[in-house]
Amino acid sequence: MAKSTSKDAQDLLRALWSAYSATPTNLKIIDLYVIFAVFTALIQVVYMALVGSFPFNSFLSGVLSCVGTAVLAVCLRIQVNKENKEFKDLAPERAFADFVLCNLVLHLVIMNFLG
Amino acid sequence: MAKLVVFLTLISLLPLLCNSFSDDKPSDRHILVLLDDFAIKSSHSLFFKSLQSRGFDLDFKLADDPKISLQRYGQYLYDGLILFCPTIERFGGSIDAASILDFVDSGHDLIVAADSNASDLIREIATECGVDFDEDPAALVVDHTGYAIAATEGDHTLIAADGFIKSNVLLGSKKIEAPVLFRGIGHSLNPSNSLVLKVLSASPSAYSANPKSKLTSPPSLTGSSISLVSVVQARNNARILISGSISMFSNRFFRSGVQKAGSPTKHDKSGNEQFLTELSKWVFHERGHLKAVNVRHHKVGEVEEPAIYRINDDLEYSVEIYEWSGTSWKPYVADDVQVQFYMMSPYILKTMSTDGKGHFFTSFKVPDVYGVFQFKVEYQRLGYTSLSLSKQIPVRPFRHNEYERFIPAAYPYYGAAFSMMAGFFVFTAVHLYNKPT
Repeated sequence: MAKSTSKDAQDLLRALWSAYSATPTNLKIIDLYVIFAVFTALIQVVYMALVGSFPFNSFLSGVLSCVGTAVLAVCLRIQVNKENKEFKDLAPERAFADFVLCNLVLHLVIMNFLG
Repeated sequence: MAKLVVFLTLISLLPLLCNSFSDDKPSDRHILVLLDDFAIKSSHSLFFKSLQSRGFDLDFKLADDPKISLQRYGQYLYDGLILFCPTIERFGGSIDAASILDFVDSGHDLIVAADSNASDLIREIATECGVDFDEDPAALVVDHTGYAIAATEGDHTLIAADGFIKSNVLLGSKKIEAPVLFRGIGHSLNPSNSLVLKVLSASPSAYSANPKSKLTSPPSLTGSSISLVSVVQARNNARILISGSISMFSNRFFRSGVQKAGSPTKHDKSGNEQFLTELSKWVFHERGHLKAVNVRHHKVGEVEEPAIYRINDDLEYSVEIYEWSGTSWKPYVADDVQVQFYMMSPYILKTMSTDGKGHFFTSFKVPDVYGVFQFKVEYQRLGYTSLSLSKQIPVRPFRHNEYERFIPAAYPYYGAAFSMMAGFFVFTAVHLYNKPT
């Protein structure tokens, strides 16, 4: 029983991976970027749990810069995805320009809040 | 020429004179003694002589002398008052019970000696001081086990009392070995008066009754709740001594030997002289009078006294406390002087260290709370005048530029924020150059 379960899980993962391999490269790059941001945020949360929340503003700005980056990247991914019919009228260049502008605003705020 | 020499000598002595005036001396100087009759002046001369030898200027008057007055033109003429007039019904002159209490209220000292059949006036003054004498005018304190053995077997009203209060400041550092002879009226302390103290209490077997009549009902005052001699230190540091016996001050009691019933030791001399001399030193502020000077505070490592402190500052507080010895100010030595850093309640309460030269000091950290604080020293000890110092000092929070600029603990957060920015640039480049696929 256990054997078949682990085999099922392996099959499932393999199926997932092969399905994901069909994703366009530019979306894969965005996914990588999101993973990087989320991972950085997790590291900071663990660090805060170990060291304490003393410079709490710095902690908040560090984590929120990661979370904000991830959210903006996900938004970009939704907008540039060809299969997403909702945004088929929106040019990918326009989506990317929005992304850059939002990132500028985000990092401006983060820099003010960091110290 | 001779005139010039005298003049120059006088001029050179003038600074000394000024010095003696400016020196702050809390001991009393001028004392009014009110007597029932002038025979007391000679029969109690040893007590008066000990006062005069210590520099007091005694003014003997009959209590019903029509010319006596305590003050003239609003100024008190005397620093202390001794009432050796237990039977007086009305004082002469302008003195009455209210004026005597005003005298005490303005910080002057008082000794009251009562006796059996003490007058209502003396009882009224004592009651105002928190002491209630036995209401029976013929009552005496009787003690059938603690009496003094006399040549003629008496009615046991001559008591050899040794229930002293344990206080070096009141009774001097030398232990009083011999019991004190006492013949007179007992009193109880008013429980609502927290300032009055029993200095000499009767033994547990004593009671207060008329020794000549048969005891029909239980006596109102019994046991060690009877006080023979009591003192009061008012909140303005005026001191009052109330004794139920005038004869305990007399030469006869000072000189006579004493042997307490049931005790094999016979003392050649009663303890009266030592007891009353030491107690009168206390009453007239020759002992137990404290002063605090040079209250200083500053930040650790600085000398200047700042107008304001910041939260979490380290500061040092110091004060000098001296005790008047009768002739000069001596350093006060104690290990229980505390300072409070106070805002509505004490945020910090610290016992100060002392160097044995009267200098008390401590250091502490200002709490993490801002507002208007006070340095407070509230020192109240049995027999000592109370010290109450307070000094206001504001405490402010950090200024915006007093925070640390870069905190080492926050470097991972800085790193994360900057790596996000760098990641944004890298991602932008990769995303744009990947476009053709």
